[in-house]
Amino acid sequence: MLNLLTAERIKLFRSKKLWIVLSILSLLPIYQVANSRLAVHYGTKLSQAIDTVINGATGILMMEKNALTVLLVMSAFISFFIGEEFQHGTIRNALSLGRSRTHYYLSKLATASLLTLVGVTLLTALGMIGYSVVFGFGEAAGIRNYVSFAVQSFCTLTLLILANVSIYVMISFLTKSSSISLIWSFLYTIGTGFGAGIFQHTEHFKMVTFWFTETFLFYFNFAAPADIARFPEMVWVSLITIVLTTAVGIFFFKKTDIK
Amino acid sequence: MSETILKTTNVSKIYGSHKALDKVSIEIKRGMIYGLIGENGAGKSTFMRTIMGLITVDEGNIELFGETGVKGLQNARRKMGQSIETPALYPELTARENLKVQAANGGVSGREIDELLQLMNLTNTGKKKVKNFSLGMRQRLAIATTLITNPEFLILDEPTNGLDPSGIVEMREIIHRLVTERGMTVLLSSHLLDELSQIATHYGILHEGKLISEFSKEELARETRQYIEVESAEVQKAVVVLDELGIKDYEVINETELNIYERLDDVALINRSLVLADVSVSRIGTTRQKLEDYFLQLTGGTKHA
Repeated sequence: MLNLLTAERIKLFRSKKLWIVLSILSLLPIYQVANSRLAVHYGTKLSQAIDTVINGATGILMMEKNALTVLLVMSAFISFFIGEEFQHGTIRNALSLGRSRTHYYLSKLATASLLTLVGVTLLTALGMIGYSVVFGFGEAAGIRNYVSFAVQSFCTLTLLILANVSIYVMISFLTKSSSISLIWSFLYTIGTGFGAGIFQHTEHFKMVTFWFTETFLFYFNFAAPADIARFPEMVWVSLITIVLTTAVGIFFFKKTDIK
Repeated sequence: MSETILKTTNVSKIYGSHKALDKVSIEIKRGMIYGLIGENGAGKSTFMRTIMGLITVDEGNIELFGETGVKGLQNARRKMGQSIETPALYPELTARENLKVQAANGGVSGREIDELLQLMNLTNTGKKKVKNFSLGMRQRLAIATTLITNPEFLILDEPTNGLDPSGIVEMREIIHRLVTERGMTVLLSSHLLDELSQIATHYGILHEGKLISEFSKEELARETRQYIEVESAEVQKAVVVLDELGIKDYEVINETELNIYERLDDVALINRSLVLADVSVSRIGTTRQKLEDYFLQLTGGTKHA
């Protein structure tokens, strides 16, 4: 497993994909800070309920503010990162050496998760710094213990994103192709995102939407006490999603014939 | 008796109603260069993939370095290297980086990278990315990546595919050197018997998923060697003349044909002796069964090989 992770590190550091992902997630907060500054300059008043991030303190919610962008960027990265191994045939190099398919799958999941963690930390840190510089650190409305809130919201948001990463990894291993994986990952993200909005208006299907992490990422306010109270539920949904998708992914990958 | 590296027993792979492999049993011993020959779609790549654990077998047993079972085969595969069809490389990386990745995959140090680059004439590639390599360079690098883990058994699927004549000769020399200098055992495939005949020590012919024939280099040479073909209505009388000439290595094919496998330069002398002995000769001359004819004879097919 460690050997496979070492191989992933070599590939990743020489890959343009890594730097593209990190560039997007670094430039995004800078762009948003500048955008908010211009909006305020032209008379718009920032509102936490609408803008999510309005100062350094609320910068911890950069993941919530950019949830769709982060998911689409990560899904694209994972689709290429895994799909190309199948398409170039390089997956054979590791597997024909007797490497366990479970280890191979987990090494890909671990690498994608680690990059996501680095990416969202960068996004959040730059967001907090940028908004603090321009608008001051300030406070998050209604939050008494900021440190506890910051840790809980950051961890919960990260887990929700990682649950999606796990789904994208599964899709990539099932489709074995960058382009097809990309299409299915986008469809899944957009489908569950918009679908949740529609189904939440129905009585019978409302509950189902809470089994999809997009519901929390797109429709919850992470600074609202009612939604903060649901952090444990979000953590459970994320963990169950990660375990289930990984189990399904490994199960089918083990049965897959590799061309 | 030398050690058995690979032994497959009745290995079958079925896709829907199509049997890609049908009870294939092969035994490869240490030091062999085993050439697997077959037309496109005969099942060569499928067979190689089953050995490497890339596809599952539906029936049969695989024994590698004496190991069987999932765990046993996984361990045994660490002593193997492979290059299947197109070279499996990272196009955005350099030759050296590709070797580093494979060294990491195999859990070995990259100490041999320089030596392998030299062995494969790739030392001057520097920072050039693999996507800018010629096919020959990529083939050589693919073999180098298989060697980084010091395999004892090498599987090469159509290693000369797409190479120009000089590339083919170079690849052949590389494989020879690996066997003689590193003592490797090689399983390689081709759809060209002629191509394999210049390198392999043993052969197996796959046809429609079945192993229809196995023979050694010596047996192939015997089957395809040059001989004097004599056509006469009096074969019995001709045999007497041959005996008088001291020719022992001949074969009576039928009532009007016989083949002589020695003294191939003495066609004129043999002809004169036959004529002087009143044997009517309707045709005499040296001939050789072409490898491709031999292949077609075995597979019973039309000319593809």
